[in-house]
Amino acid sequence: MTAGPPHCIVLGVIGADCHSVGNTILDAFFTDAGFKVVNLGVMVSQDEFIDAAIESDAKAILVSSLYGHGEIDCAGFRGRCIERGLGGVLLYVGGNLVVGRRPFAEVEAKFKAMGFDRVFPPGVDLDAAAALLRADIEEAAHARA
Amino acid sequence: MSSTRLDWEEMQTEREQVLQGWPTGNAVRLEEAVAYHRALPVGKRFPQAMRVAQAENLVLLQPRAGVPLIDEHIKLLKYLETEGEADVLPTTIDAYTRQNRYTEAARGIEMSLAERHALLNGFPAVNHGVDGCRKIVESVGRPLQVRHGTPDARLLAEITLAAGFTSFEGGAISYNIPYAKDVPLEKSIRDWRYVDRLAGFYEDQGAAINREPFGPLTGTLIPPCIGNAIGIIEGLLALQQGVKSLTLGYGQGGNLIQDLAAMHALREQAHEYFRAAGFVDFHLTLVFHQWMGGFPEDEAKAFAVIALGAAVAALAKAEKIIVKTPYEALGIPTKEANAQGLRATRQIVTMLQDQVVRTDHEAMRRESDLIKSEVKCLLDAVWQAGEGDWARGVVRAFADGLLDVPFAPSIYNRGRVLPMRDNEGFIRLFRSGALPFSAEIRDYHRERLEERARAERRPVGFQMVTDDIYAISKGRLKGRPR
Repeated sequence: MTAGPPHCIVLGVIGADCHSVGNTILDAFFTDAGFKVVNLGVMVSQDEFIDAAIESDAKAILVSSLYGHGEIDCAGFRGRCIERGLGGVLLYVGGNLVVGRRPFAEVEAKFKAMGFDRVFPPGVDLDAAAALLRADIEEAAHARA
Repeated sequence: MSSTRLDWEEMQTEREQVLQGWPTGNAVRLEEAVAYHRALPVGKRFPQAMRVAQAENLVLLQPRAGVPLIDEHIKLLKYLETEGEADVLPTTIDAYTRQNRYTEAARGIEMSLAERHALLNGFPAVNHGVDGCRKIVESVGRPLQVRHGTPDARLLAEITLAAGFTSFEGGAISYNIPYAKDVPLEKSIRDWRYVDRLAGFYEDQGAAINREPFGPLTGTLIPPCIGNAIGIIEGLLALQQGVKSLTLGYGQGGNLIQDLAAMHALREQAHEYFRAAGFVDFHLTLVFHQWMGGFPEDEAKAFAVIALGAAVAALAKAEKIIVKTPYEALGIPTKEANAQGLRATRQIVTMLQDQVVRTDHEAMRRESDLIKSEVKCLLDAVWQAGEGDWARGVVRAFADGLLDVPFAPSIYNRGRVLPMRDNEGFIRLFRSGALPFSAEIRDYHRERLEERARAERRPVGFQMVTDDIYAISKGRLKGRPR
């Protein structure tokens, strides 16, 4: 656990996706892990993520997509962040991001090209994800300092 | 808010508005549609298939399937019909259409055409319209059902029923609370009353339509009493609007005895409540959903989960089973994987077809009696809250937490209920919120969970719930301490 106030993160399921179970668990997990979680729940638009991140001064936005429309829903997310003055926010995305069975490396490359900092397949170890998130947030803070 | 039968003439003004919701609505012609239904060969009629299944002791196999483009969708269904030996076919609707976002669905169709792979997770039936949907009906040899998750399915029902689909899934609670964030129950009840009345109209005209409330809800450790109570209420609401062919659903929980007991209780209590409400002219069947939670990634293990579900469906004498695929953990399956799930299921249900497992032994009877007494508590409370009207009762019961669906995204669901497995894997209540259960029932659940806590040498707590949710995907029924 780091000293100082907890890092704030924004959590939600993007688009028209109503998968709520994993979202409930991520909320409980990251809260337990010492983050301040702003959980927007399911069916969240890009602008709702960005509004919440601005309001809460969040360091990272964690986007989930389970239903296969991730490619359409996430297109232009980084650009929208830059437009709204949030260019430096960390963007994570994870879940079943595309329709059909495509190699994860291909999916990862696609979402990184969209401006996501990290891309996760299903079944990720949450402790490892939390460690990465903490390291990324601290590195970004150093870079700014 | 009330659940009396809608007057068909009064409904016409609303129908005109609904049909204007997207340009394809203009093509709906009821008289022509009814004539088309009446001319359908018997083998393409869903209610008839369900009757045959019950009479001949069959479990009909149905996959889930839907892709954005018509020709591709037809190819997929034909493959499942021939290579998968599916008895009845689906058309699974994409998530934009489910939220009435037809403009985005249109973009999904265009992008899928341009990129030559599917960018939508289902078939956008409203965008394809009556003619597009009818091509599907014409191209396959089996009855077709619309499977979706749409809180306001009025236009979807108008278009697909006009096209010749003979079954329509969903209901005012089961396609709202697990599938939407902020749709008031008053609205979904009204919109589903419209859908049921439309199905009832076809029925009156000699064009039988099967209706199927969605039993599994959020598909995540749903205690049987919650799913059964909601299924019975949605059945009552459908019957009130003139529906005659009704299929109630149950999602596999994983404990063999609990699953058999729950199916037995569902059939018995549904008949009881429907008859008590004065309905006699209906045909009731049950559908069993193979495990709706997380699947193992290993295909061999996924087949084992599929096989267990197939066995329970056959032993429970379900008339239909919804089949999963070995790719379930990875998202939407290929047609080959989908057909494999069907063939594995076929082998099991055929082997078990004539076997009978006695349901009158003690463990089964105790569980079945427990479920029935819980369902009665829930339904009594809804009835009282609604002062004798089921629809009004549902709205008030959800507001007060008398009905509460675990893990549902809707803000109209209290979300105070948390389920957990006991030491034998039965799904019990860890937190029962405001569910109107007797002290005796609450104590029984608590005792069973304490028994597990002692066996695992850890306290009953949220971690157990999380462990249970992922347990089957990690190779076991119950979550065990890390």
